[in-house]
Amino acid sequence: MEKKTRNPLGIRVLRELRGEWKKYAVIFIFLTLMIGFVSGMYVANNSMLIATERVKTEELREDGHFVLKEKADKDLIEDIETGDKVDVRAYYVWDAYGDITEEEYREAFRSGNYRERLQELYDEADRRAAEDYENAVGDYDLDDPYFRPVPVKVFENFNKEADEDIDGDGTRDSGIRVYINRDDIDLYCIMDGRPAETADEIMIDRMHADNRGIKTGDRISVNGEEFTVSGLAAFSNYATLHEKNTDMMFDALTFDVAMTTEEGWDRINAETRYEYAWLYENRPADVKEEKKQSDNFLKALITQAAFADNEIEDYVPEYANQAIQFAPEDFGSDKAMGGVLLNVLIIVLAFIFAITESNTIAREAPVIGTLRASGYTRRELTVNYMMAPLIVTIAGSVMGNILGYSYFKKVVVAMYYNSYSLPEYETVWTPDAFVKTTVIPVILMLVINFIIIRRKMRFSPLKFLRGDLKNSRRRKAVRLPDISFIRRFRLRIFLQNLPGYLMLFIGIGFVMIMLAMAVGMPNTLSYYQAHASEMMLADHQVILTSDHDEDGNAVTTSNPDAVKFSMEELLLVIDDSEESANTYGMEPGNRYAGIPADLKDGEVVISSALSGKFHIDPGDEIHMKDKYGYDSYDFTVADIIDFDGGIAVFMDNDSFNRIFDRDEGNYDGFFSDSEITDIDEDFIAAEVTSEDILKMAAQLDHSMGAYMLYFQYLCILLSAVLIFLLTKVIVERNEKSISMVKILGYTNSEVASLYLVTTTIVVIISEIITAFLSRIAMAEIWNNMLKRMDGYFPFVLSAQGLLRMIILVFLGYMIVMLIDFRRIRRIPMDEALKNME
Amino acid sequence: MSNDKEFLIISDLKKGFGEGETRQEVLQGINFKAAKGEMCVLLGPSGSGKSTLLNIIGGIDSCDSGTISIGGDTLTAMNEEALTQYRRKHLGYVFQLYNLIPNLNVKENIEVGAFLSDKPLDIDELLNVLGLYEHRHKLPNQLSGGQQQRVSIGRAIIKNPDILLCDEPTGALDYRTSKEILALIEDVNRKYGSTVIMVTHNEAIRGMSDHVIRLRDGVVRHDDYNTHKISAAELDW
Repeated sequence: MEKKTRNPLGIRVLRELRGEWKKYAVIFIFLTLMIGFVSGMYVANNSMLIATERVKTEELREDGHFVLKEKADKDLIEDIETGDKVDVRAYYVWDAYGDITEEEYREAFRSGNYRERLQELYDEADRRAAEDYENAVGDYDLDDPYFRPVPVKVFENFNKEADEDIDGDGTRDSGIRVYINRDDIDLYCIMDGRPAETADEIMIDRMHADNRGIKTGDRISVNGEEFTVSGLAAFSNYATLHEKNTDMMFDALTFDVAMTTEEGWDRINAETRYEYAWLYENRPADVKEEKKQSDNFLKALITQAAFADNEIEDYVPEYANQAIQFAPEDFGSDKAMGGVLLNVLIIVLAFIFAITESNTIAREAPVIGTLRASGYTRRELTVNYMMAPLIVTIAGSVMGNILGYSYFKKVVVAMYYNSYSLPEYETVWTPDAFVKTTVIPVILMLVINFIIIRRKMRFSPLKFLRGDLKNSRRRKAVRLPDISFIRRFRLRIFLQNLPGYLMLFIGIGFVMIMLAMAVGMPNTLSYYQAHASEMMLADHQVILTSDHDEDGNAVTTSNPDAVKFSMEELLLVIDDSEESANTYGMEPGNRYAGIPADLKDGEVVISSALSGKFHIDPGDEIHMKDKYGYDSYDFTVADIIDFDGGIAVFMDNDSFNRIFDRDEGNYDGFFSDSEITDIDEDFIAAEVTSEDILKMAAQLDHSMGAYMLYFQYLCILLSAVLIFLLTKVIVERNEKSISMVKILGYTNSEVASLYLVTTTIVVIISEIITAFLSRIAMAEIWNNMLKRMDGYFPFVLSAQGLLRMIILVFLGYMIVMLIDFRRIRRIPMDEALKNME
Repeated sequence: MSNDKEFLIISDLKKGFGEGETRQEVLQGINFKAAKGEMCVLLGPSGSGKSTLLNIIGGIDSCDSGTISIGGDTLTAMNEEALTQYRRKHLGYVFQLYNLIPNLNVKENIEVGAFLSDKPLDIDELLNVLGLYEHRHKLPNQLSGGQQQRVSIGRAIIKNPDILLCDEPTGALDYRTSKEILALIEDVNRKYGSTVIMVTHNEAIRGMSDHVIRLRDGVVRHDDYNTHKISAAELDW
């Protein structure tokens, strides 16, 4: 049997790879790093997600929790566990009748026609009860015909909120929420040490301990009581340390979660939070069903709590629990963003490859013509010219995946452990990572290169032999304006390389969006930190436990800066979403919130943050409702106050007390620009200062700040690589012309000014345009990111930030320009003479 | 100091390529002189070294030994920067395959040459002389071979060079077009007084030259002056 001769064209591919090894090495390294990082991200995400899912079953993570104002008795717990509603109509009747004052009764009896008068009062109470009931039914859909009881198992998960003193100096360093050791719900993964076993031991959150430098065996003080840290744990219901579910950001720096023995817990002198966790008797199959069950359970809980004359202070189903969901959601968005970035990059690289190969085909046209004339098919040659990009992409993908599983996974995991309280994990094989980082890039590379190279190969052998790879209709020169020769020359270079420059524009745009994040995030944080005081209505906010003492005397202050306020936390209902909004009642014309004196009934002013986040303007209607109560409210926005520190609604205090059924003159605390020192500590529930506002910025800075600088360097590298690959094509394409003008007597600088200035101008213009576009894009991304959190602060990318972005990319370009200048200098003059030999 | 009769002096010029056993001596001691404004034709078979000689005269290749003096300046003593300035000020180059810049139109290709000169010729007038005025906005790929060579000549002479180096300027052209191009070169020589050094293997072209140098195996075999010069139009082959 005759041995078939191997296709010699394969050797051409190898020689191409060897001859252009610098270019291919740059692309290979870049692909390897990018794919490696994204692959590592997928593997780490997937492994972490599986670990957090495992926590759900193995560590009995709750299906949700609620907090009651009073401890629930056994009967109430049993009623709640039925998951069924009680008829609350009677509650409203009882409540309305209870609202009839003694004075009204007296007046009725004094009227002489007391039966009729009493009947009127009762009718009025019945009417109010019916109205309140109808409102509750409307707001909470209590008469939902599809309501089905949701039986649950309820667990006590009581805790106390206290001050944590880490350094033993007697001052508060952090807040701490201490639970009692438990073994039936919300278990934990021990990361170091062991659980508390004695009354003076405590186990705290690993993340908080890392952030604050606390180690097992250290002593900390909780509300003045000394404890030894017996261990560090990842609590299953606190993957992120969100103090409140409405917090914009978790806070592992100044908030801690801990667990101690019952005796240890009793030592802590603080109020008990009556938190109850629940597990559904029938596990929901998916999030949709979970949401439905949760909605039904809330309806039942509202009626049960009201009927027992208790109050729900907090209700957080698992799917809406930030402390549980924030991390997995963040994994998800990281994966989505990483995937998109990788695909965009692969497309840009595929086009660069295709342009490079087109250039090679044009250069090797006579050879291709000869091969075609000798009988090689168009398909054989197309495949041959596609091989180099494909080999590099596959090699980059394989190497990237190896690094992804071995090295980058650890980098990403370290990033996550730096932010989240995650349990231990096991690396799991992630087919998704392989598809996203290998299959899709290879397909993208294959398709784009196939289309472009196949198109380039469509010419006849004769045309290839003549080097005439233009359309049959000869390309005409674009008429240029009567400007200087040099400018026209540069314009011609621009027109000749338009597709390349378009890719350059897209590539720079892509880098700029990443840079907008890398530069904008620290920018936003530092802006936020610098303007923290503006983020508060006043430098100090004192919240009182009561506005009067036991003898009925008002709790007040002589501080002239102090202004009274009342506050309710309501839900602002916008389309299908609900946003937590603080609603304040204050004196009109006060110095901290400019409430106009002439506000009409039902009119409010809102903060600029609220206006900015939801695009609400004066004249618009807003709909609000009690968080877990029974009332809803409609207001008209009269004006907007310049306050970016929170989602807030303001009205005058008289209207506030009337609307929220409070006594006349009632208030919740004081705003003041100077410290209030003359209120007894017993009456102070909390004091909020700008330090608290800075918590979020500090946490973001801690979690991401260091990475942003590396990210900026990565962007410089990325832009340099993209520009390098494209300018290489431009220079190579014009090698003969460059050689020719050198023969004519052009100096290297003049040649560079002809061929490089065009690229420089394109780079600068692309940078300026895309810098502004990326700021708009990033602000939009930021708004979308913040929509899933309560609160708002705007994305800030200052003029200096924009300038920094432009300079960073230009620095990358400068490096490339030096390489290009060297490349131009090295083009020999005999290059133009080659076709003559 | 130079005089017009010894405008170009080449003395004992040697050039080899390769190393060791594969080394090939392409020029083995070339000597000749050319006067200012004369039309000098270098004839010889392939491999005789004529293109190498032209490239060395043009300052785009270097010799191993010997000297070239043009207008009193010694090329072989010049560094790269000086050579660039020399090409810029004194030389025009015409190649067999034109070497036009593909993305510049006719006028712009000629302007590439004009840019280098302090006192370039009037471009529109030159376009008319070259018969290219109506084609001035076309790209090279829209032109015939003869038209492209005209552009190439235009680019070379727009700066009114002292020396016009032509390397097989008709090598890729048909008979009629070749004669047109030769007539144009003759015109340029006469009108602008440029010294023309033309490499060709077309024996017939010697008829229109003042000075004929024959090369073979890297040495000058004959160095003659043409006493019966005819015009390009009268050439036949």
